[in-house]
Amino acid sequence: MEKAVQQTVQNIRVNRMAVVDVEHIVFAFSGNATIINDVTFSADKSEFVSIIGPSGCGKSTLLRIMAGLIKPTSGRVMYHGREITHPVNGISFVFQDFGLLPWLTSTENVKLGLSLMTISEEKKEKRARLLLDKIGLHGFEDSYPNVLSGGMKQRVGLARAIVSDPQVLLMDEPFSSVDELTADALRSDVVDMLKNKKISVSSVIMVTHNVEEAVELSDKIVVLSDKPAVIKKIISVEIKYPRSRRSKEFMDAADNVYAALTG
Amino acid sequence: MSSLVSLIILLLIDASFSWIRMFIALFFSIIISLIIGIYAARSETSGRIIVPILDVFETLPILTFFPFVIIVFVAPGILPTYIGYNAAVIFLIITSMVWNISFGVYEAIRTLPKEFIEVAGLYHLTGWQRLTKILIPASMPHVVEQSALSWSIGLFYLVTSEIFSTGGSTLYTVQGIGVELTKLAFSNNLGAYLAGIVVFVIFVVATRFLFFRPLEKHFNKSGMHKSSERLTIFKRMLDFDTYSRILKLHRRLSSQAKPETKKIQPEITQTNKIRKRSYRYLYVMAAIALIGVIAYLFVLYPILGTYEYEALISILASLARIWFAFAVILIIAIPLCTFLIFISKHSESYMLLFQIIASIPATILLPIVALALSPYPFHGELVAFVVFFLSGIWYIVFSVIASSRTLSSDIFDIKKLFHVKGGTAFRKIYLKAIIPGLVTGAVTAIAAEWNASIVAEYFTTTAIYGGTLVSSVNIGIGKFLDTSLSSGNLTLMFIGLVNLTVMIILVNMFLWKRLYSRLSKIYG
Repeated sequence: MEKAVQQTVQNIRVNRMAVVDVEHIVFAFSGNATIINDVTFSADKSEFVSIIGPSGCGKSTLLRIMAGLIKPTSGRVMYHGREITHPVNGISFVFQDFGLLPWLTSTENVKLGLSLMTISEEKKEKRARLLLDKIGLHGFEDSYPNVLSGGMKQRVGLARAIVSDPQVLLMDEPFSSVDELTADALRSDVVDMLKNKKISVSSVIMVTHNVEEAVELSDKIVVLSDKPAVIKKIISVEIKYPRSRRSKEFMDAADNVYAALTG
Repeated sequence: MSSLVSLIILLLIDASFSWIRMFIALFFSIIISLIIGIYAARSETSGRIIVPILDVFETLPILTFFPFVIIVFVAPGILPTYIGYNAAVIFLIITSMVWNISFGVYEAIRTLPKEFIEVAGLYHLTGWQRLTKILIPASMPHVVEQSALSWSIGLFYLVTSEIFSTGGSTLYTVQGIGVELTKLAFSNNLGAYLAGIVVFVIFVVATRFLFFRPLEKHFNKSGMHKSSERLTIFKRMLDFDTYSRILKLHRRLSSQAKPETKKIQPEITQTNKIRKRSYRYLYVMAAIALIGVIAYLFVLYPILGTYEYEALISILASLARIWFAFAVILIIAIPLCTFLIFISKHSESYMLLFQIIASIPATILLPIVALALSPYPFHGELVAFVVFFLSGIWYIVFSVIASSRTLSSDIFDIKKLFHVKGGTAFRKIYLKAIIPGLVTGAVTAIAAEWNASIVAEYFTTTAIYGGTLVSSVNIGIGKFLDTSLSSGNLTLMFIGLVNLTVMIILVNMFLWKRLYSRLSKIYG
């Protein structure tokens, strides 16, 4: 009996264990002022974390450190307890400006996301096309990016990021390069995919400077200050999805974030 | 020791003379360009005529202007010989410099935001004020950019400019680094020649850093320019002259220009389209006129048929030579550029090294190349190959590097994030990323090779030591032009030039423009 209880406790602990741990990250360009100072937070399983802060405060740099693209000056980022020193399989990335290669078609761009997989070209092709279909790009599988609208480009970017079934998705202001209506549609699609478990991704870390966007999507909001970026506050948002921007609790949460940002 | 000192003093004096000529030529080139460029850009019809003419003149080799120079500056004897010679040399340098800068001014005015002109109207500026307060300042960043490029083209023709000949007379200036280097190379004094090269390179580098860079900095401060450039990774890389040429070409060749909304006149929202139409219009007119005149002349003078045959054969031979050299350039440049852009961590140091090497024009190296290769069979062909190779390769390398600066830094992140490796990375990322730069570079490289043919294919010491033929190919348009000029047969030379021009225009129309419009559909 006692053993069983212990087992359960352990299970809970495993479930609650952070997928990504950001530990005391400091970043400075050599010889220059510190950009990011001692940032620590974590993203748990099934958690959507937003990092919000003023423009140019180093949010994107922080995200790239998590992706293993940039080395921090000190501190470390752990993924399932292992330190990230370079991009790893299982963590994927969505770019602000889509990051599509202009000379590759949608399908070819998505296939880049499968580079590490040891499956045949045909299978890769099939998988990429299937996903593009699912994500609402049927008929544009062989189009080059410059004929696609901003929203469509970001859908390709998203498809490329999730095609390899990653567990963690890092998003760098993913909705800021498209118009507000498109962004709205994209956001609800992302929420739908995540919350209804349509994709493998369980944890998301998103950088944004849009308070409403952060409140709409996140379980947890990390509020950063400007120059250097230090954590001002970590706010958890416990509102049921899908969230209406007009509800009282939404506005309260948003006010809370605004207060933290400006305070 | 004292001989070394006196040699260095001699070289410094020579280089100074050359540089003074270059600066005077640059000054006049800028004045002329401002007049031509602003005039062409401000009026639709004048642009339609002037731009294609500039395009044609730019492709003509410098010796086209030799007879003119003799007739105007030297033969009449109005000017004292010394001044006459120098004026002639400066004029020849101008003919190699002015076209680029004119295009720069033209582009600057055509892309000038409409508001600037509206401001002029609102505040009732006079014509002169418009010129000095708006049009000229707006052109200056482009002028500086193009001047740096024109400078290196001017250096390429320095030797040819300082020694010019027509008919029986060969004239050369007393002081000049171009003349001096040629002399040294043939005096069998390798050490002195190398010292000359070193002095030359020092002058080039000094001009770059003490003259052009401060100017560029000054005129870019106003932020008139390149404002749309995205965050790029190679921003810190040293600028090279070709970059501006690439941008210019890119604008000029891309037939599918994105509609730019803010232009001087609302009706010219698509400059390139109109320009394309204007080209076609002019080409057709010129072709019809030309065919008529030629047909008449051929009937009148049957010997022209022989001339024409000779010219065509010569052009074909040169075409084969030039494209072969170009193929070799590609084989070397593609891996090299891929390495520099995507793999090397020290690409900036390599670039600095390449820029210094590239600053030595092939024409200056020609004497030593010719001497070094003289024991080998087919040495005329070898020399031509080396000169073509050297005149073309840097355009490709610097064009690709320059266009890689507009690549989004995301590309590098993509490669790492999605673990794209080896062959896939080369095919899907590296190769495709450099293609636009490769094509623009190819256009300039091939043009440079054609221009170089007059020195590559036929090289004599006529100018200085009375007529030893150092190296020559059997047949080629460069040799054709050189020999027809030195034998005083201007008709023959003219026919060669017309054929060369037509060929260059045809290749532009049927190869490069098509390739460009195909690429711009994808690369946008």
